[in-house]
Amino acid sequence: MIVFLTLLLTLLIGTGIAAGDDTVASGKNKVDFNSDVRPILNQHCVACHGGVKQAADLSFVYEDQALSVIKAGDPDGSEFFSRVTSEDEDQRMPPAEHGRGLNKQETETLRMWIAEGAKWGKHWAFTPPQSTVAPSVTNKEWLKQKIDAFVLQKLEEKKLEPALAATPERWLRRVSLDLIGLPPTPEQTQSFLKSVAEQGDDAYNAEVDRLLGANSFGERWASVWLDAVRYADSKGLGLDARRSIWKYRDWTIRAFNDDMPYDQFTIRQLAGDLLPNHSMDDLVATASQRLTQTCEEGGTDDEMFRVEAVVDRVNTNWQVWQGLSFGCVQCHSHPYDPIRHEEYYKFMAFFNNSVDCDLGSEAPNAAVPIDDKLAQRAIELDRKIHAAVDSHWKSGFEIASDKSKWQPIVEASVKTNNQTKAAINTKARGTEFQTTGTVSKNTTFTIEGKFLKNVDQLTAIRFTGLPSDLEKAKKDSEWGFVVSHFSAELTSSDESKTKLEFAYVIGDEPQPLLNPQLSLNAKNGNGFAAYTRINFPRTAAFVLAKPQIIKPGDRITISIKQNSMALGAFPLVSHRGQLAISSDEAFTNWWSDKTQQKSLANIADLKKQRKAIKSVNTPVMAERPSHISRPTHIFDRGNYLTKTKQVSANVPEFLPELNSAKHQATRLDLANWIASGRNPLTARVAVNRIWAELFGIGIVETQEDFGSSGTAPSHPALLDDLAVRFQTEMKWSMKTLVKEIVLSSTYRQSSKTTTQKLEADPRNRLLAHGPRKRLPAETIRDQTLLIAGLLSPKQFGPPVHPPIPTGLWKPFAGGDKWNTPKTDDPNRYRRSIYTYTKRTIPYPVLASFDAPSREFCAVRRLPSNTPLQALMSLNDATFVESTMALAKRIQASPGELKEQLVFGFQLAVCREPSEKETKVLVSLYKKSVNKKDALAAYANVASVLLNLDEVLTK
Amino acid sequence: MKSIQQQFGEEHLQLKTRRHFLKSCTTGLGGLYLASQTNSLRANDTPNVSPRGFHIPPKAKRVIYLHMIGAPSQLELFDYKPALQKFDGKPCPDEYLKDQRFAFIQGVPKMLGPQFPFKQYGESGAWVSDRLPHFSKVVDKVCFIKSMQTDQFNHGPAQLMVHSGQARVGYPSIGSWVTWGLGSENENLPGFIVLLSGGRLPRVGKALWSGGFLPSAYQGVQCRSKGDPILNVSNPTGVSRQTRRAALDSMRELNSINHAEFGDPETLTRIKQYELAFRMQVAVPQAMNINDEPKYIHEEYGTQPGKESFANNCLLARRLAERGVRFIQLFDWGWDTHGTNKSESLKDGFVNKCKQVDRPMTALLNDLDRRGMLDDTLVVWGGEFGRTSMAENRGGVKTSHVGRDHNPNAFTMWMAGAGVKQGFTYGETDTMGYHVAENGVQIRDFHATMQHVLGIDHKKMVYPFQGLKQKLTGVKAARVVKEILTDV
Repeated sequence: MIVFLTLLLTLLIGTGIAAGDDTVASGKNKVDFNSDVRPILNQHCVACHGGVKQAADLSFVYEDQALSVIKAGDPDGSEFFSRVTSEDEDQRMPPAEHGRGLNKQETETLRMWIAEGAKWGKHWAFTPPQSTVAPSVTNKEWLKQKIDAFVLQKLEEKKLEPALAATPERWLRRVSLDLIGLPPTPEQTQSFLKSVAEQGDDAYNAEVDRLLGANSFGERWASVWLDAVRYADSKGLGLDARRSIWKYRDWTIRAFNDDMPYDQFTIRQLAGDLLPNHSMDDLVATASQRLTQTCEEGGTDDEMFRVEAVVDRVNTNWQVWQGLSFGCVQCHSHPYDPIRHEEYYKFMAFFNNSVDCDLGSEAPNAAVPIDDKLAQRAIELDRKIHAAVDSHWKSGFEIASDKSKWQPIVEASVKTNNQTKAAINTKARGTEFQTTGTVSKNTTFTIEGKFLKNVDQLTAIRFTGLPSDLEKAKKDSEWGFVVSHFSAELTSSDESKTKLEFAYVIGDEPQPLLNPQLSLNAKNGNGFAAYTRINFPRTAAFVLAKPQIIKPGDRITISIKQNSMALGAFPLVSHRGQLAISSDEAFTNWWSDKTQQKSLANIADLKKQRKAIKSVNTPVMAERPSHISRPTHIFDRGNYLTKTKQVSANVPEFLPELNSAKHQATRLDLANWIASGRNPLTARVAVNRIWAELFGIGIVETQEDFGSSGTAPSHPALLDDLAVRFQTEMKWSMKTLVKEIVLSSTYRQSSKTTTQKLEADPRNRLLAHGPRKRLPAETIRDQTLLIAGLLSPKQFGPPVHPPIPTGLWKPFAGGDKWNTPKTDDPNRYRRSIYTYTKRTIPYPVLASFDAPSREFCAVRRLPSNTPLQALMSLNDATFVESTMALAKRIQASPGELKEQLVFGFQLAVCREPSEKETKVLVSLYKKSVNKKDALAAYANVASVLLNLDEVLTK
Repeated sequence: MKSIQQQFGEEHLQLKTRRHFLKSCTTGLGGLYLASQTNSLRANDTPNVSPRGFHIPPKAKRVIYLHMIGAPSQLELFDYKPALQKFDGKPCPDEYLKDQRFAFIQGVPKMLGPQFPFKQYGESGAWVSDRLPHFSKVVDKVCFIKSMQTDQFNHGPAQLMVHSGQARVGYPSIGSWVTWGLGSENENLPGFIVLLSGGRLPRVGKALWSGGFLPSAYQGVQCRSKGDPILNVSNPTGVSRQTRRAALDSMRELNSINHAEFGDPETLTRIKQYELAFRMQVAVPQAMNINDEPKYIHEEYGTQPGKESFANNCLLARRLAERGVRFIQLFDWGWDTHGTNKSESLKDGFVNKCKQVDRPMTALLNDLDRRGMLDDTLVVWGGEFGRTSMAENRGGVKTSHVGRDHNPNAFTMWMAGAGVKQGFTYGETDTMGYHVAENGVQIRDFHATMQHVLGIDHKKMVYPFQGLKQKLTGVKAARVVKEILTDV
C-alpha cells in the first residue's frame, strides 16, 4: 500500500509540473475551457457522454452536442448545469454508481464558464501554434539560444538552478553520440580541446557543423525514423519471407544527410508516386507505405490482409505525422478527441485505392537501379514506356469498349473439363455462362455456339469475367480469375475445323499486374486476369491476326483455360463469363496499322534498354485507374466483412480543410495538407520527436499522443515557438533545429544531478541538468566496434548478417539464409542499421537493448536494464571479437602498462581517467595476468571498459 | 472514486514512464530484475491495488503450456464421433459448407470417419483413442474442453490468436502478460521461458512469445537443450569464472566512482544487473541440466539427455516449475495433418507425433502430482484450431493421404492442475464433431479463465497502447468459464 501511495504522490508531483501552466487562466477572472472546463468534462462526463458511448445522444466531446444542453450566459437555465448541481439523486449527474458528484469548486468553475458565455475551446494541439518572444529571465548570461530562455524561465519559477556546463570533452562525447551515433576518437577529442582553448564557443559551433556534415549523421537519425515507420527487411505474417526494400532505408539515410526539408520528406513518402515528373527517389520514398505486413501463408484471404495493411497504414501515418492514435476510430468514434467513426473511413479512402493487394510478389514494385547513378536514366525510360503503353492501350481500348462493335454467340452451350459445373444463363442478355457450387482448380470452359445470320467475318472475340454477385462484389470483392490460355476454332457444316490465330489482347487497364498477352501463350500460366480479386466485370478483347470469313452454318468453339491458384488454395477461376464476337474491321485495322506496329516495336526496344539496367525490385505505391477504382465503405464496428455507407476521401473536421474543392481528393492532396503550415500538428510532432531524441524525454512526453489524453507539454510556449520557427525561419530543416538545440546552454549542461533536483523533478522534465540516457541499441554496438577499431565505414546496400548465436536462425521460409561473413570481411562489422531486420527472428543484439521488432510504429523506446543485456555485451560474438580487438589495440599502443591502459580508457570513455580509475584498471590487469596468454589480461580490462555504465550511457 | 478517464490517464503515465514504472514495481519487472525490491504482493492483503495481478486469490502460481503446433485432430484423439463413422466417404451435407471459409477445402468434400478406435477410461469415463495409451490412464486428473472456438482458420494468425488474443504480430503473449502482472519467483531465472521441439520453429516464430508493447524484459526467453541454454549465458572461451569475477569487481568500482559524481540511480541498477547475470550463468545451466535426474525419471518421461525433444522439454518444464519460473511455454511442431504427404498423414506422421508426446505429457502430470505441484501448477494442452470432419480435397481434388483441413468452429483443449476440476469434460460438439453443440468457449474466454486461475481479473489487467486500453482478452466481452473451476 505504501508503495502505491508513493507512486501516486510521485505521479501528482509529476503531473503538477507537466500541466500546461503557461495557459492564461488560472483562477483569475476568466475561465478557460481547455485548462479549467475540459478536465472536468473528461473526468466526470465523457465515459458515458463521449465518443464511444453517447448516452441519450449526448456527447461532451463535440461542441454542437454539448451546447445543446448549455445556454450560454445562463447557468441556471442550462439543463447541463441543473443536472450536475441537482439535489435530487435521481436527477443528479453523474449517477452515484458512476462516481462522485461534482464538488463546489468544480460546479463553481462550470457556473462561471457558462455565465461568461460558455465559450468552447479546441484542444491546444488542434489550434495553430504561435510564435512568442523569448520570456524574460534573471540570469541572462546563461542564455545561448532562444530555447534557453523558455527553459530557464521555468527553472527560475521553480527555484531550480541549471547545472554547470559539461566539460568540453563530455559535451563532445554526448553530441557526437547524439548526432552521428559514434563517440569521438582520442584525436578528435584532443583537437576539439585545442580549439576550445583557442576559440571558445566558436569551436563548439564548428564541431557541430563537422558532425552535421558527416555521412554517419544519416545513419544515426534514419534509425529513429525507421522505428516510426516500422521498417523491416521481411514481410511479417505467413512465412515472414525476405522483402527487398533496403533502397528505402538508404533513401532515408540520404534524406537526413542531405537535410531534406521535413515538408518534402513528408510529401515524398506519402505520395511521391503522384508527384508530376517524380524521380526514382520519389518512388522509392513511397516504400514507407509498403512496410506493412503481408501474409503469404497458404489458404489465407488476400483481401483480408490487404485491408489489414491499409488500416495499419492509416494508423501508422496518424501516429507518425500527426501524433494521434487513430486506431480506436476504426471501431467507434474517438473516446475523447473529436474524431468521428466515419471520418476514419474517409481518411482510409486516401489509401484504399492503391494497387497493392497482399501479393506474394509484393507488386507493385519499382525496379530500382542498384547503381544510383543510373536512377535518372531508368525513371526516364520508365516514363517513356509508361506513356507509350498507355497511348497504345488507349487507342485499342477505345475500339474494344465501343458496344456497337459486338454481337452475341447464339445457341451457345458450355462444358468444363472437371468437377466445376457450368451452364448457359438463358436469362442474361448476350452470351453468358455461370457456374454453380464451388469451382475446382484447373478448369477449362469450352463454349460452343453459332453466329447471327448477318455475321460474315470474325475479327475479335471478347471475354468478360464477372463476379457471381455483381452488386455485393463492389463492396466485398470475390476471388478473381486468370485466363491462362485462350483459344478458339471454327467448325464448318462439313465438320472441317479451322484454328483461329490471335494476334493481340486488349485488356481493360493500361498497366495490369499480369500481362494479358500471355493468355495467347499455351505454355505460360499467366494472362488476362482479375488478380487476385474481382470487384467489377473485367473485359478483354482477343484480336485475330486477320479477319476470318464466316460461312453460313459455321460454328465456333472457344476454350478458356484457367489454371492459376492463389496461395496454393483458391482456384482463380471465373464464376461467370460473357462472350461476344465482332466482325468489325476496326480491330484488324488497328492491329495491323503501321503506327501501332511501330509503337509496339518502340515499347519492346525501350523495355530492352531498361532491362539492361541492373535493378532491385522494391515495393512502392501506385494508384488503380479511376474506371476500376476501389470504393471505400464504413466498416460496421471495424469489421471489414460488414460494410455500410460508401464514403469519399477527406480529412477529419476538427482539423483545417483540405484544399481540393475542384476534384476528388487524392493522396497527394493529403500529403500537401499534412506538410502545410496550416496543419497544427505536423511541425509540433516533428520538433518534439527531435527534442525527445536529444533530451531523452519530449516536451510532450507521450510523443505518440498529442490528443487530450496525452500528457500536456512541459513547455507549451517553447514547443509552439519551435514549431513555428521550424516551418518558417528554419525552412523545415532538421539539421538547423538540431544545431540550435545542441548549442544551447540547456543541452550543454552537465548531467550531474542533486538530491534536491531528483526530488523536485525526478524525470528531469524541467531540464535542470543535462540528459543522461542509456544509448540506443544500434549505438551500443556501433560504438563498441569503433572503439575496437573494427567498424566498417562502408555505406548503403543490401542488408548484412553479423554473427548470431548458432541454433538461433531457424526461419520458417527455408530459403532465407543468414550467411555471416568471415572475420576479414568488412560486412561482418557494418553499422547496425544495415543489419537484416527479420520481424520474427530479430537480431539479438538490437532486440535485447530495446530496439522494437518493427511491427508497429514505435516513436519512443522505453529503455530497460536487464541481466540479459549484461550477458549480451559480455559474451556475444560481436562483443567478444571487439573485446579482443580492443585488447590488441591497447597491447600494441606505445608506453608503459599504465599509459597503455589510460589509452584504452580514452578510447572507450573519451576522457582522461582519474588517478583512482587508472589504479582500478592497473590492479585488474595484474590480477588477470595469465602466463600462457599475454593478451588475456588486456582482454579482461577491455571487457570492463566496453561494459562501463558511462560507456553504455550518454 | 476516480473516473475511468482519470484512472486511465494515470495508468497511462505510470505504465509508459519507465522511472515511475520501476518505482511502482513491487512485482513485475521489480520482482524479476530489481533485487532490492522483491517484496511481492501477496494474495488477499492488497486486493485491487495494483493495476496488474492478484485481483482475485490465485489458485495457480505458474503455468506449463503445451502447444501442439499445426493443430492436432480432436477427432482422432478426444472427440469421439461414432456417427461420423457412418458417414465416412459420403459427400458433405450442404449445411456444413454454407457460409464457411476454408483454408483448402473446395467444392463438396467427403466426410471422414475417425481413423482410430476409441474407448472410455478412468472413473470419469473420458473417451480417448488408442493413440494415447499412457495418457488414457491419467484422464481423471484432466479437465477437457471440447467446445473451443476461434475465428482464425490459418496457422499464423490462429497461433497468434491463441497466444496473444490478436491475429496479428506485435501484441504481448500470455506469458508476457502473466510475468508482467505477477513477476517471477526466482530472480536468477527468467520468468517466462520457451522450449521448442519438433524440428521447426512455429511459422511466426518469436512473435508467439513476444512481449509486444510491454517492456521488452517480459518477452519469453527461449531456452535450448542443445548448445547454450540461454543465448550468451556461457563465458567466451578462455574466460574463467574467476577472471569474470575480477572484471565485475573492477567494473563495480568504476561504476561506483561514476555514480558518486553524477548521482544517476540507473547506474546502481546496472551494477545489480551485472551481478544477477553472473548468478544466472550458474543457475540457468543447472536448471537445464537433466543429467542429474534419476534413471526412473528418464524412463518415465522417455528422455535422452542432450537431445532436442518434447520429452526432454517436459522434464525441463517440471524442473523450471520447481525453480519458480512463472510461465513455461512448450511448442511441439508437426501436427498439421492435411494428408498431402506422408508426414502430414493421419495414418503416418500423426501416429509418430502421438508417440512422441503421449509418454512425456503423462509423465509430467504424474510427476507434478507426486511432488504436490499439481496443486499450484496449471498445465494446458492444445492446438490453434481443430480439424474438419471432412477429408481435405485441396483445389477440389482428393489428397494423396488421409487428412483433414482446418476447423476453427470446434476443437479440444485440456487443462490439469491448480484451480480446475479433475476428471471433467465441458462443452460438446454436434454429431459430426464439426460445430459446437453447446457451451462454446472462445479463445478470449479461455484467456480470461486462465488469468482467473492465476489471480488476475482479465478486465483489470490493461496496458495503454495506440489509444486503447489493451488487454489479453481484447475488446469483445470475455467470460471466465466458471463451470470448469474447482470453486469460484
